[in-house]
Amino acid sequence: MNITRIVLLSVVALLLPAAAHAQGRTAHKDAYLYFVWPQDGTVIKGAFWARFGLRNMGVTHAGDDFDNAGHHHLLIDVNSPLDAEEPIPQDKNHLHFGAGQTEARIELPPGKHTLQLVLGDAKHYPFKPPVVSKKITITVR
Amino acid sequence: MPGEIYHIRPGRDGSHPTNESPRRLAAILAADISGYSRLMAMDEEGTHARVKRHRRELIDPAIIEYHGRLVKSTGDGFLAMFDSPVEAVRCAIVIQQSMVGRNAALARDQWIQYRIGVNLGDVIVEPEDIYGDGVNIAARLEGIADPGDVFISGGVYEQVKHKLVCGYQSLGDRQVKNITDPVRVYRVLPDPAAVVKARRTPGLAFAVIMGVSLIASAAAATATWYFFVRQPQYLAAGRAPEPKPSTNLVTAAPPQGAPAAKPQTQSSTAPAQPPAVAAPPAQPQVAAVPPAQPPATQAISEPEMVTVPAGTFAMGSNDDATEKPIHQVRIKSFAIGKYPITVREWNQCVAAKACTNKATGKDDAPVTNVSWNDAQQFTEWLSGVTKKQYRLPTEAEWEYAARGGTQTKYWWGDQPVSGMANCKGCNEPYDATQPLKVGSFKPNPFGLYDMGGGVSQWVTDCWHKTYQAAPTDGSGWLDSECSARVIRSGSWKNDHNYVRPSNRDNYDANVRYPTHGFRVARSP
Repeated sequence: MNITRIVLLSVVALLLPAAAHAQGRTAHKDAYLYFVWPQDGTVIKGAFWARFGLRNMGVTHAGDDFDNAGHHHLLIDVNSPLDAEEPIPQDKNHLHFGAGQTEARIELPPGKHTLQLVLGDAKHYPFKPPVVSKKITITVR
Repeated sequence: MPGEIYHIRPGRDGSHPTNESPRRLAAILAADISGYSRLMAMDEEGTHARVKRHRRELIDPAIIEYHGRLVKSTGDGFLAMFDSPVEAVRCAIVIQQSMVGRNAALARDQWIQYRIGVNLGDVIVEPEDIYGDGVNIAARLEGIADPGDVFISGGVYEQVKHKLVCGYQSLGDRQVKNITDPVRVYRVLPDPAAVVKARRTPGLAFAVIMGVSLIASAAAATATWYFFVRQPQYLAAGRAPEPKPSTNLVTAAPPQGAPAAKPQTQSSTAPAQPPAVAAPPAQPQVAAVPPAQPPATQAISEPEMVTVPAGTFAMGSNDDATEKPIHQVRIKSFAIGKYPITVREWNQCVAAKACTNKATGKDDAPVTNVSWNDAQQFTEWLSGVTKKQYRLPTEAEWEYAARGGTQTKYWWGDQPVSGMANCKGCNEPYDATQPLKVGSFKPNPFGLYDMGGGVSQWVTDCWHKTYQAAPTDGSGWLDSECSARVIRSGSWKNDHNYVRPSNRDNYDANVRYPTHGFRVARSP
């Protein structure tokens, strides 16, 4: 009886986090997301290519549900905090790279802008814990 | 009252009645109650009493108010004539809008809904009746009108289009029974302006009074009125189980030996389709729509389509770099889904093993999490099953349809108004987790729902970041290869800025996202 209870409890204990984490896969502990270019403080004239770097995890197509892999999202001038329980929004400030792109041609109006990368899982949810780059500020002339 | 026809004067001078021609030009209004026999079967005395009350309190006063004359009344309808087509159409709108208010408090199956046709024609006036093609055409227009709708002929349209501020949807030329030449048909679209006119009629009905008090307060309140009072009627016309032979009924190839084709009434409340045998007693209302297709073994419900008239419009705006430059685009007439494709419609394709991605959500919710490629699967399947050429709309068609003939920032004006679209920060309460069911808001002047907000909608075109060198003939703008396609409308997760008809965005064609859906189009 006792054993059964322990087994049951441990099964429940195992399932609970799984249920709670139905959205958002677990990130690699050493995952590191960053901008290859531009860097914080870069001053740019006109359109530019942004290049995304990722260490210890892989880039894949959105919809592919592999461990340890995700796709890039570029957040431009986003100030609201990231909601880990919701898919990464899709709008003009949240660009998706679901085809597995690791670079993008970006054109922004003149002025200061912030850029930040967020890795999303197959269903566009942030990983747990979120894999995000440092938020950088660039100036477009 | 019929006797009054004796005294109609042909406009000039009535002092020589003996010389008067029995012929005259008149606007004829024909109306009948949709599903009258069903209502009578359900509750004969009650229905009769209600119809009589409507006649006494609403219809007779409205006809007098608009300087018309009741020619005759039948059990389930009436015929009236007016000197002026403008007055005739006004009268029709007032009756329809007032009936909405009267029905609002009742169960759906007890609604009394009129279908109204208005025609301008030469008629022969006799003491107890009027005769002639002009009358017959009005009756035919009434016959093809949807419950709660007003259909007018081209002749009436020409007379009222610049005088009555409401929308008119061209339904093209229709061949009507026993009339040699096809008749151009327009549907009168409800519009807040119509309510403003209606208020000139004192004490007509609940809906009108209510509309007036709200209009007096604010435009936003008008929207609310539409949402709460007007909406049920739209839902009824479009979605609710009005027992008419459904034009949506399409027969599919016979994979399963299912029982004979059964009209699939689309219930917005029932969680599932009632089993065929347990379906409510079929009420074939003759002549409401052209006869349904011949029986076959399996029926699918085809998306409800609206024919959009040909026209030219200014596409784009100066609100965003992607929407420039504004350019003139010529659009041929085409048909577009009245609503985005629903979960129910989508899952028919999944059941047929033609679509791979089973949709989740309520049956009446728009399908979400579909990629452009998924949408292609659906249109191919639907075209195959229906033998019609379904496709995605082109970007230009989508914007033209979304504008509904307007050139303002939103189809209802230049300001965001709450209660007009399913978007973030646009309405209270707001459910961030899922889209509202299709058709939850007021349709635009073309009678299309959810063209802005709800779900983002895929269109044919490859993504181009501006309109530089865009086609001007309404065709899709395609490249030999493109990974990103255009999405329109904004979703319930985007703010009102995305609801603008000119707003455009793009997404990878082979990637699914939980706010992306689509609607279908078809060339005539």
